[in-house]
Amino acid sequence: MAGMELVSDQGYRIDGRKPSELRRIRCNMGVFTQADGSAYIEQGNTKVLAAIYGPHEASNNMRNRVCLDRGFVNCEFSQATFSSAERKKRSRGDRKGRDISAHIKQTFEAAIRTSLYPRSQIDIYLQVLHSDGSLYCACVNAATLALIDAGIAMKDYVCACSASLTKGSSLIDINHVEELAGCAEFSASILPKLDQIIYSELNGRIHQDELGLLVDAVSTGCRDIFAVIDQFVRSRLAETASYFTHS
Amino acid sequence: MAKVILGDSEKWFIIHGIQDDLRNDGRSCDDYRHIEVETGVISNTHGSSRLRLGNTEVMVGVKVELGTPDPHSPNDGLIHFHVDCSPNADPSFQGRGGEELSSNISCILTRIFNNKTAIDLSTLGIIPHKQCWVVHVDVLILECGGNLFDAVSVAVKASLHNTGIPNIQVTDGDEGTQEISLPDDPNDVKFINTNNCPLLVTISKAGSRHIVDATADEESCCNASLVVGVTRRGRTMGMRKMGEGSLDPESIPEMIETGKNIGRQLHIALDKLLKVEQGMANDIEKVGYL
Amino acid sequence: SITISLPSSRKCCSNSNLTNSYLVTPGDVITEDTDYMRGHGTYSIEGGEGDKLHSSVAGVVERINKLICVRALKTRFTGEVGDIVVGRVKEVQQKRWKVETNSRLDSILQLSSVNLPGGELRRRSATDELNMREYLNEGDLISAEVQQVNSDGILSLHTRSLRYGKLSQGCCVVVSPSLIKRRKNHIHNLPCGASIILANNGFVWIHPSRSECDKDADGGFLISNEAINYDEREIICRLRNCVKCLAHRNVILFDTSVLYAYEASLPYKVSVVM
Repeated sequence: MAGMELVSDQGYRIDGRKPSELRRIRCNMGVFTQADGSAYIEQGNTKVLAAIYGPHEASNNMRNRVCLDRGFVNCEFSQATFSSAERKKRSRGDRKGRDISAHIKQTFEAAIRTSLYPRSQIDIYLQVLHSDGSLYCACVNAATLALIDAGIAMKDYVCACSASLTKGSSLIDINHVEELAGCAEFSASILPKLDQIIYSELNGRIHQDELGLLVDAVSTGCRDIFAVIDQFVRSRLAETASYFTHS
Repeated sequence: MAKVILGDSEKWFIIHGIQDDLRNDGRSCDDYRHIEVETGVISNTHGSSRLRLGNTEVMVGVKVELGTPDPHSPNDGLIHFHVDCSPNADPSFQGRGGEELSSNISCILTRIFNNKTAIDLSTLGIIPHKQCWVVHVDVLILECGGNLFDAVSVAVKASLHNTGIPNIQVTDGDEGTQEISLPDDPNDVKFINTNNCPLLVTISKAGSRHIVDATADEESCCNASLVVGVTRRGRTMGMRKMGEGSLDPESIPEMIETGKNIGRQLHIALDKLLKVEQGMANDIEKVGYL
Repeated sequence: SITISLPSSRKCCSNSNLTNSYLVTPGDVITEDTDYMRGHGTYSIEGGEGDKLHSSVAGVVERINKLICVRALKTRFTGEVGDIVVGRVKEVQQKRWKVETNSRLDSILQLSSVNLPGGELRRRSATDELNMREYLNEGDLISAEVQQVNSDGILSLHTRSLRYGKLSQGCCVVVSPSLIKRRKNHIHNLPCGASIILANNGFVWIHPSRSECDKDADGGFLISNEAINYDEREIICRLRNCVKCLAHRNVILFDTSVLYAYEASLPYKVSVVM
């Protein structure tokens, strides 16, 4: 563990939050007109844009991934060069990008009702504008909103949250500085209404007894995030549904 | 560019409309779609901007770093342009699909900024031959609705206007070397002077007339266009022909004239907006994508 | 003219909230009553605590007798037999064209399902196959009707009627299929002087009115590429902008709503309507 104090003696983190407090979440749907669905989410300073294309006929270079009984998900994650504190020119296929793309693809193939879209392709594109920790989680939350915007059938929302363990207490929704501190980091995606975990990842070493603590912390965090974005989706629905019902 | 495929009849409809000075959305040949610009949207950059022109969406982030000057101009700083086409804009930009388009755009930007008058690079020099500021301008294309060059150049000018370079102190250190110290206050900056920054205007030819600010549909009907770099005073700073079609040499001066007029108007409108925004500074909350 | 503004000066219109509709989001339990049949936008999980009906999209719950559906605001087009579609030819294959119709898979238009010049009952010859590009090429827009929905979801189209065929000059606006009201007639000759096709798949085609007798003998493939006069063009552009505005505000599109919008826009210049 690094020598930095992640939690002060009064119980506050570096950015002033309490250990179980999420960062401020702001979001929007329908940001782009050309994509079938799009969304934007801000978790503190982490800002992610998601765009969904599909379901549509598989494009020529993806023909070999077509499944006869269900749709397949194609995901690409990219980070803007100005997104991190230090400018870093990233080529599109670098390892970190491919890792996150693969994890998100896996996450959503479990959540989207792909059996409704045989032989079709669903594209999920994620663009990070500003990166301040918990990239995978913000991407998952943005993609969920964008999929809802696109009207693609899903079993439930997918909400993701990260947590880290320091000196026996868990920190929720870790930012970049806390990520660099080197503590064990746990992220998970859950289906909040069905109460199931569909993806989880642990980096670092923890004691067996501590795992329960982390899982609980992340589940609570995910449920809190779900509450925020569900409220947003419902208010947006109420606005647009008023014109929408047929007479 | 993501090619929009149109049928022949649709193309004729558009081309005839241009001859009649009534385009599909009711604009005349010299009209631009409404532009929305906002600066200072990304907090960990030195300058940034976000622009929306119809369906085209562009975001620019500017970061400055310390670096070594070019041996040919030891007193000057450097400016680099980098363009990235996000797959959000079009599935064909996935992987390396957008590279041709991005290198096209960054090429043109480099060319029109590559002279003494665009940005005074000597203001970016720190210690001759040793240290200078390197300005990295990163353009991110988020949606392609036609007329990318113009949109990118307006966003670049807005972001450079918003870029603050830390005020550096050069002191004499030990043994004749010079030391650089950065200010502690992040607001102790000097803004870049963008009075002479050029803007790009794309003039596309259709039939016997030409249009500015072509939408993606119109671009697929016009197979030849000119991209002209225009300064605030209406002087041209560079030109490039795009497209597979050919241009009648007699029509080129007319198109350049239109480009210069439009360029002047664009500068005026943009400068006015940037001034208004600066005046409002802390009163408005940045909208971004919310 | 050039206008540049700040996004914060964008005017936000407040929309009235309709609270008596039943709104659901993905994962919500709609009902625990097992009597109901599952329609679009719903699913049930077998076993466990019994068959509860869940929603799989965010939208409005619609109940028709014992069938429960959830309709989302934006979706891709799911065709039914008899729907009118406007599609763009994507590919010319052997004996058929692949047409893009904003659905989850591209639709098919068989060579045997179109009207060829020289009468309807002619047998398709090998020359016809080779000359398919003369009839419909990549990028052409056609209006057609859904003949059948195949088991894998692919729509088979046909243009075997004088109302359908290749589309001539005009303007196309793409909106979400859920904004098109289902009616008996989707092809309208508007009294303002233009014609409009409000296709079920969300493609709205606005074109100048032509007299009916133009379309018969040649099977609808002869296209006039002459210029349309200024007044007709203005009407078409105005209609296009009105349709775009209505779609932006999520208003259901049908001939009356488009006409009201058109008449309301008359005092303004066409370009200002946007």
